[in-house]
Order: sequence, then structure tokens, then C-alpha cells
Amino acid sequence: MEMKFNGEFKVAIPRQEAFDLLSDPQKFAPLLPTFHSMSMKDDKTATVKVKVGIGKIHGVAATELTLEEAQEPLRAEYVGRGKVMGGAYNMIAGFDLEEAGSDTLIKWRGETQMYGKILSLAGGSMRGYAESEINRLIGSLQLALSPEAEAAAIVAARQAAKPQGLWQKLLALFGLWSPPLPAAPAREVASKEEPAAAVRLLAKPPTRKVLKADVAPAALSRTEVGESIEMDRHGNPTWVGSHLRRKEDSRLVRGRGLYVDDYQSSDMLHLAVVRSPYAHAKILSIDVSEAEALPGVITTLTGAEIASVMQPYMQIGPEPGANIKDYPMAVTKTIYQGEPVVAVVAETARIAADAAELVNVDYEALEPVTSAEDAQHDKSIIHPDMGTNHNWHGIFEYGDLDQAFAEAAHVVKIDRLHFHRFSSTPLETNACVATWDKRGDIDFFTTNTFPAIAMQMMAPALGVSLDNIRCRTHDIGGSFGNKITSYPGMTIAALASRKLGGRQVKWIETRNENLLAGGHGGERTFLDTEVALDADGVITAIRSRHLDDCGAFPRYEPLGCAIWSQVLPATMKLRNIRVDFNQYITNKCPAVPNRGYSRLQHLWFMERVLDICGHQLGMEPDEIRRRNYITEFPYTTPNGCVYDSGDYLKMLKTAQDLLGWDEWKEKQRQARAEGRWLGIGIGTTLDSGSNNFAQAQIVNPDAPFSGNSEVCTLKVGLDGSIVAALGTVPSGQGHETATAQVVADVLKGVGPDLIHVHAGTDTARNAYSGHSGTYASQFAVTGLSAVHGAAVKLRKELLAVGAYALQASEDELEFGEGEMGAQLSVPGTDKVIPFMYLSNIINTNNAGLPPELDEVTLNVRHVFRPKFEVPDLKRKYGNLTLTYAAQLHIAVVEIDKYTFVPQILDYVVVDDCGTQINPKIVEGQVHGATAHGLGAALMEQYLYDASGNLLTSSFSDYTPITAMNMPDLKCASQESPSPFSYNGAKGCGEGGGAPLHTLSAAIQDALAGEDVVVGDTFGSPTAIYDLLHGKGRRTTVTHESRSAA
Amino acid sequence: MSEFVEAVDIEVTVNGKTYQRSVEPRLLLVEFLREELGLTGTHIGCDTSYCGACTIHMNGAPVKSCTLFAVQADGQTLTTVEGLATDAGLHPLQKAFSEHHGLQCGYCTPGMLMSAKALLERNPNPSDKEIKKQIAGNVCRCTGYQNIIKSVHAAAAEMRES
Ligand code: FES
Ligand code: FES
Repeated sequence: MEMKFNGEFKVAIPRQEAFDLLSDPQKFAPLLPTFHSMSMKDDKTATVKVKVGIGKIHGVAATELTLEEAQEPLRAEYVGRGKVMGGAYNMIAGFDLEEAGSDTLIKWRGETQMYGKILSLAGGSMRGYAESEINRLIGSLQLALSPEAEAAAIVAARQAAKPQGLWQKLLALFGLWSPPLPAAPAREVASKEEPAAAVRLLAKPPTRKVLKADVAPAALSRTEVGESIEMDRHGNPTWVGSHLRRKEDSRLVRGRGLYVDDYQSSDMLHLAVVRSPYAHAKILSIDVSEAEALPGVITTLTGAEIASVMQPYMQIGPEPGANIKDYPMAVTKTIYQGEPVVAVVAETARIAADAAELVNVDYEALEPVTSAEDAQHDKSIIHPDMGTNHNWHGIFEYGDLDQAFAEAAHVVKIDRLHFHRFSSTPLETNACVATWDKRGDIDFFTTNTFPAIAMQMMAPALGVSLDNIRCRTHDIGGSFGNKITSYPGMTIAALASRKLGGRQVKWIETRNENLLAGGHGGERTFLDTEVALDADGVITAIRSRHLDDCGAFPRYEPLGCAIWSQVLPATMKLRNIRVDFNQYITNKCPAVPNRGYSRLQHLWFMERVLDICGHQLGMEPDEIRRRNYITEFPYTTPNGCVYDSGDYLKMLKTAQDLLGWDEWKEKQRQARAEGRWLGIGIGTTLDSGSNNFAQAQIVNPDAPFSGNSEVCTLKVGLDGSIVAALGTVPSGQGHETATAQVVADVLKGVGPDLIHVHAGTDTARNAYSGHSGTYASQFAVTGLSAVHGAAVKLRKELLAVGAYALQASEDELEFGEGEMGAQLSVPGTDKVIPFMYLSNIINTNNAGLPPELDEVTLNVRHVFRPKFEVPDLKRKYGNLTLTYAAQLHIAVVEIDKYTFVPQILDYVVVDDCGTQINPKIVEGQVHGATAHGLGAALMEQYLYDASGNLLTSSFSDYTPITAMNMPDLKCASQESPSPFSYNGAKGCGEGGGAPLHTLSAAIQDALAGEDVVVGDTFGSPTAIYDLLHGKGRRTTVTHESRSAA
Repeated sequence: MSEFVEAVDIEVTVNGKTYQRSVEPRLLLVEFLREELGLTGTHIGCDTSYCGACTIHMNGAPVKSCTLFAVQADGQTLTTVEGLATDAGLHPLQKAFSEHHGLQCGYCTPGMLMSAKALLERNPNPSDKEIKKQIAGNVCRCTGYQNIIKSVHAAAAEMRES
């Protein structure tokens, strides 16, 4: 293939000066846009290295550039030869200089011939590359040849920084190389290697003739944002375990993420929702005529219309809850404030919102049920098809309670404890763009973080095959479990799209809607708790009755009715437990999984019980923990769960040392002597990860779920790029980075920069199973096990093809990076083959392949399934989770005696999530989970009044925690590798809600002299005031001591 | 309620480029940036001026663009997160946020960066407390703020050196 280019430009300097630069390889070379380095072979010939890349393939290429002709001051001509990307090329670049007054006119020409494989691989796109690269080179030259001091300075700076190099530029000239980061319009460029000079020139081109108009910035695609991550392992032998910056950051810090609302198109329609102002009301009539008359409104949808075109969603639970008719919109009555009643679709979001206000609905208010305790009486039935508000009941009983209580030295009774309603309120609300096209396929660009479940809910309800539904995500602004149940909103948008012949319909929740109806974390009340302890303060038995309030629809519930039992004994070694577990429907927002889902409620309860007992027995909180902690691992709990590993005693010691426990104890004595309320509290918690879906069968023996699985597909693309697709749905957890780390360790020698990981998930990539999603702290285990498995398979295939291609045995081969990116080579020989050729051999040039390569595709899919059994459903006994990360927090809190504001004076966090894949990401998860717990403990609550009105339905009322309220955390970590994951890692994303236990304990300790029991998770100044002034519900504790007094 | 109010002509300079548009008087500035100009780096996280995801600079001062109408920006000069990186590469704050893991989901990040930038422009060496105060109106639900504060310190140090 041969290409020729030419052109001319004028520079405002004398001809001699221009010639001096053009004829000096040392000055010329650094102008190349992808210049890397150079050395002079002699004074005419430079060996120049340039960074090269087409598409996702990157490498460094060397070439020889010789000043073949220098006819002072008229003419300079270079000849270059080199090998690039499996081909060879020759080139000529010549410059003729003519005087034009005091200026110089430079006429230039470039010719190149290319040979070899490169053409078959990239030939088609070559000319375009070449043209744009030439434009850049000419731009650089013009700048370098301009009289401006600035230009000279830039060139000088470049030369100083990189003592050599030019040559790349000519390679670039040939279009053989495009820079690893897009060079074109300036702002987007960030590579250290990137020559600012060239870029600037293009941004403001002087008069010149160019081959083509400059590419406008708008034409840049998102993929042009580099995703380079740090290539320094800081001495760590593997990529896993290294503190790496994240691939994701590159786009996100530039404001170039793609969240659902960022996706715009001119024919898109916008959906707004009219919501119920009542917690419980009959719908008497709906009038949409005024709304529909508004110009720009396309259609409206009522609940009745929706119910006529779909079936209610499947219910996970058994009867009576299974009888619930769950539609995404109210049909005959509304059962929580904020429930969708009418949807309006319009040309713009603003018109839709206006029209929503024109919808007239007549309601007749019904009696609301606003707590689980009230729901028990069934005075007002919320779902008539259910006949009761009691959604689920089960008894979890293990050991011998009667004997334990008979032998107890102490019995402590606690009448009521309460875990309040809050959620993690991700900063991006629920959203989707739905398109139900005329072929019957539904496409969702969504924020849903568990699409496998969303699809299994929607497909039967909408009467389509699961295969008709495509869910894809890109960047998601946090989820913390909350976005798992966004499928009702998605359904409404899809039905609107179908009604409108397949137009795209965008649905974006406002913050107010999100707080009203986007899903709340579960609320739980613990009644009639009795605790047996031996004379040493070891808890031997607990019995209790728990009421869970799941709001108006169960949706993901009643799974939470079993999930808490993953941590049945918390961190304690007691063997006798009986929990009478109940779940009730109320006229409040439906519950959703929320960071620490269902376990944090139980863990808070257990820790509160432990501290109350300690207080009764006069035992320090550290001491009673040391006596009760589980110390041997793996540990089988009374209900058959297996705690994989851990060292709680060590965590406690570390945390106490970090805090300066003794000094704080001393300060506390002084404070108390001065009458101040200063308290120290400890909270231990568990983050159980990778759950066994067979727990669904504990709540409903007919539930078609068990085990767990996650998927990764990994391939070498036609161009040799390594590309991973995941079933997990990240919303800030750095999956792209962690995946690249794991793959890079398997293909030892290929760095994570060369591993491209698709952002988000897309069911069209065939990388998902029925469990795929991001929830339950499992990416590090199930997600990365899938990635690891895929990488091992791909490695095997690459070695097989490599051995065939290089005529070597597989164990001689070594992975590495060369001028064409990832490659296999036989060390000590000249045998080397880049992945691009390996892929070529299999995918595009595969005649005559030997039979042993018949199964090789270089496109592998791995499904990881942890080894789980179905539990004994009758006894509710069996292993429900694979890994157990642990955290221990200590807080020092002083409560102001006049304002009742609890101020955190010191805060320590110790975490243990087994082997850390990326310590930076782990630390981020620990901080984030701590902030959520502190926010919930001190500031954040969904507060309903007696009529079921949500009083905290804006951020200004809900007050998510800010930097001003966050204490400075002192953190430490330890690693107890899990024996059950291939990499020793444990899931760590949820954090287990430790700040809730810790703050309750600290507030209790601060108020030790006040004869009150902290019985609620919420510790706002108002809550503390109420507690001290006997307002609201009190917790009563009795202690019967049977030991020798 | 949309009575049809006449559109108003405005001229706004954003990240060095001047735009002329005709807008509804009730169009919020953040909507204008996102929908009219396609600058979707500026995000919306709430509807009560609480979260700061929409923070941009107007004439060099940080403002919550959800709390201004587009017409109020007529004749003004704005900078959004898309205008932070320059020919020389990323802004030190952008680099520091990545280096110190000051972002997870990235949704708050553009607003955080713009708030932090305003602080460093008037105070090159802020204390922890000053940083916290500056970002008190920027909610981050992911990071617990620790690494954001660290990132701002790191960027400040880099900017002081250069
Ligand atoms: S969107 Fe502007 S402050 Fe929340
Ligand atoms: S990084 Fe997610 S909100 Fe801040």
C-alpha cells in the first residue's frame, strides 16, 4: 500500500532558521505527536521511539530516521524505515523552502509504502489516521517555526523533559500510530507524553493548507478519554493487592461519565409521575383531560390502563403475601404516600411535570397503618387479597433455650428495641430510558443494579420472554442496594414506550420522589427479649420476637426475613437462640435492600443486647466482648452458617490501641467528675458476602432460587485487544480496575492498562446469569472468581495458539508487552507474536488450522458458582453465605448538656475483609460505609406522622451527612484470608452498619448516670432530648441475678 | 404551569466559548447547561439546593446552577467541570481526586471539584476545617469525605509548588 501527501504553509521566520530546524533530527524529532524517546546513531540518523496505537492496541515502536538530503537552505529530506505492528514501511518526508518576503514558504511532501500483515489488519483505516497525524505534525512544525517565544519555550521544555525523539512523528505520519490518548483538540488530552505544542497548534491553526478540516471537538467519542491507570505496583509482586488508581476515574473527573440522565436524543420523550398525597386512600376518579390538552403532552397512563396490559409482579414470598396484586401504579387505591397514580409523557421533562400538576384525582382517605406494631392488629387491611397485614412468619430456634435459661446466672429482659427507617440515598436517583420497539424487544438503559432480578420480575409481568429484554448500564451514581427495586418505574416507562410505538421514554426520579417512593431501608422492632448469661458474663441464650416493617409492597421481601440469619449469633459464641420473626405490611414506602441489608438490624440488636447486659452486670464493654467473641475459625453457627475466618480479639486490641483507650477512660473519669456526658462505645459487626440464594427457600420453599453465580466474558478481539465484560453492575466500586488487576496477574507480563473492561453491564454481551448484579458484598468473591476463571481459560487458549504459531512448546512461552501491545514470546529467541496475530490466526485467517485448535475461540465465558447446598428448610439450617468480613469501631462521644448534640470526639475503625484486592478501593468502601452508618445514627431518618405523611421528603429535611458532620476517622485493617474464595478475599462493600451499634453504645455510656436505656438506633439531638425527658417510647430493662450475690 | 411565556434571548460564555440561545424564563441554569449545551458533567442530585452536584463557577465564584435560572446567567462567564482540564492536562484537583481515591461513583465529583477549586483560588493552603466548610454544601454518598479532604490538600500542595 502506498500513500502520498503534500501541502504547504508559510512561517514568519527567515529561511535559514527554518532550515536549521528542519535539518536537525534532534530538533525535529521531539515535535512528533507521540514522541517517546530517541537516540542519535550518528549526526544524520536518529533511532526514534514513538508510542503507537490503533484502536485499543498500544505499543512502542522504534524506527530509524535519516536525514538523507540537506541542501542548505533550500531542502531537507528524511528517509525512514521501520517495523510496525507486524508490517514494515519505508517513508520519505521532504521539505522545500522558498523565500516569501521576510517569511518562508515551506512545501512539504510525504510518501510511504507499507508491507505485510498490518495492511490486512488495519489497512482500511490507515489513510484516515495518516491524514490526521500529518495535520498534527505540520501543526507542530508551524509552531516550532513560528517566531513566538512561547513556541520556542514549549519545544525547549519538551526537549528538556525528553532528551530525544522525533521519529514517532513520522511514524504517525504514516498513520501507523495514533497516540494512546487522543491528541486532537486540546482540552481532552492528558497523557504525560502528549506534546502540548502540537495540540495547541491545532487548537488555533495559523494560515496553512491542510488536507482536511480539523476535527471538531464534538466529534470526539467518549472512548477517546484515556483510561490509563497507574502502572506502578509500589513493589508489590502482583497487580492484585496493589494500590492502583482507578481506570474509571479518567472519565469521571472530567465530567465525562455517562449516567442515565446524561443520555439525550432529540426524539426522546419524558415521563413524569403523579403520586398519591395519601398514605392510604381509595381512588374515586381520575381526570387527565386537562393534562392531555396541554401542548407537548403525548399521552397519559393510569393504573387501570396499566393493569389491563400487564400481570402483577411475581411475589417472592408464600401465601398470604403471594396473593398481593403488585402493579407499578395504584389501580383502585393507594397504599403509601408517593405511590404512582398516573404517568404523563411529554416532549420535554418540564412539560411533563407541568401536565402532572393538571391531573385531577379524587381520593377518599382510608385509615393508615404506620407501624409494624399497629399492623399486627389488622384493624385496617392494606392488601385485601391478602386478608391480613402479616406478610411472613417464621421461628428460628436452635439449641436448648429452656435449659440455658434454667442454668442462667443472670437473666436480663428488654421489652422493646427499635431500628429506625433510613436509606443510603444515592446521589443519583432511580432512572431509565426505555424503548419497547416494534419487534417486541425492550431496551433499558438503566440505573438498576440487579438487572437479573429486575428482568425476572418484569418479563412474566409484561408477557415477554426474558430474552426480549436488554438491560444495560454505564455509570451509576451510587446504589447501596437501593436501586435493586427500580423495576416498577422501568415498567411504566416501557409500557409508555410501547403505547407510543417504540419511542424512547426517559424516566428520572426527582429527589423528592426518591425519598418518598424510591425505597427505604427496613425498619425493625425487637420485642420481649430475654437474655441468659452465665456467671462470667457470657451470653448463653437469647429469645426474642422481631417485627419487620416492609412498607406497602414486599417486592424484594420477604428475603430479608431469612437474610438476617446469616449473622444469627453476631460475633458471639452463644448456641441457644430463638427468634420469632414476623414481617408486616404498612402504609409506608416499600422497603428495599440497603447497605448491610437485614443483617445490620440484627447485628445492632445483638450488640445493643450485649452492651445492656454488660451495663447490668457492671462489666466494661471491651471485657464482655472478649468473653463472648467467637475465637475459633472456621466456625459453624447454631444455624449452620460457616464464619470463614477472622480474629475479633485482635481487632479489638488494635482499635483500643489506636484510640488510646486508657487515656480516654481517664479523660472520661474527669469529665464525669465535672458532670459532663462523655461516653465511649464499641461496635463489632459482620459483613456477610456472596449469599446462598437457597435462603429464599427458607422464606418460601417453592421459591425457584438457590446457590449463586456470576459471569465474565473475556476475549482477544480481532485487533488483538483484551476485552472483559462483566455481569456485575458497578456503581462506584471500581470493578473495571479490579478486573484488570486480576486478568493482568493471570496473563503475567501483560499490564492492566492493556485490559479493557466494559463500563457497566449489558445483557446483550451474554455475560450474565440469574444472579448477576451488584449486591450482598460479593464482587470481590463471585465477580472476581468469574473474572479469574475466564482469564485462566483465555490464557490456556492463547498458549495453545502461541505454541502453534511459534512452533514452540507451551511452557517455553512468556506473556509480555511489545511494540504491538500484548504478546507471547519464547525468551532468548527472536520468536514473538502479538495477540493481534494470534487473533488473526483464529478469527480472520484460519484456513488450514490444525484440529487441536478446533475448540479455541479466544472468546471465553466463565461462570463462577460457589459450592452451596440447599439448607434443611425445616430446621432452617445450612450455610447461607460464603464469606464474613468484620469491622470493629470505637467512638468517643460527648453530648452537650444544653443542646443535646452528640459530638464525636474520636473515632476508630478496624476492618478485616480478608485479602485486599485493591487497598485503595477497600479503604474507600470502609469510609463510605462508616459515613452511612454515622449519618443514620445521628441525622438521617424517614419520619412519618400518624397519618402516614413523610415529614423528611427533601434532602433539606432528611439531611444526608455532610463533611461538616463527619469525624476524622482513624483507620486500621487486618487481613484474615478467606479459605473459601480463590483469592482469600471477602466482600466488603456493606460494612455491616457498625457506626449504629457504636453510637448507640457511646450515647448510652455518656448517659450512664441518667437512668435511661438507649433503645433506638436514631441518636439525633431531638431523640436524645426525648429520651432524657421521657417522651416517646421508653425501653425498660430488668435484671434478675441468680448467682451468688 | 406553563402559560406560554416568550422565550428570552441570552448570551453566555461557558468554558471560554460564547453561546447565544433563546430560553424559557423558567429554565434552570443546570438544565440549560445539560440540555441546551450538552455539558452533562454538571449533575443534579436534589431539588432543594442541598447537594451541590450542580456546582459551577459564575464569574469565578461557585454557584449551585440548580438555584439559578438560565436567564440570570445572561452576559455572564461560566466554568463547568468540562472546563477544568487545560491544554497542559488535568487540573491538579482532578489528578489528586484520582490519586487519593476522592471519588467512587463520580456523581458528586464535578460539583466537589468546582467547590474545591473556588477554595484553592482564594486560599492556597486551607486547613481541614476550611475544606470541610467549603464543601459543606456538597453531598457525597460514597466516600465518607475522608479522601476528598485528602485530595484537596494534595491538590493545594501541588498548586503551591507550581
Ligand atoms: S442539584 Fe443543585 S444543589 Fe442539588
Ligand atoms: S463519589 Fe458517589 S456521591 Fe461522591
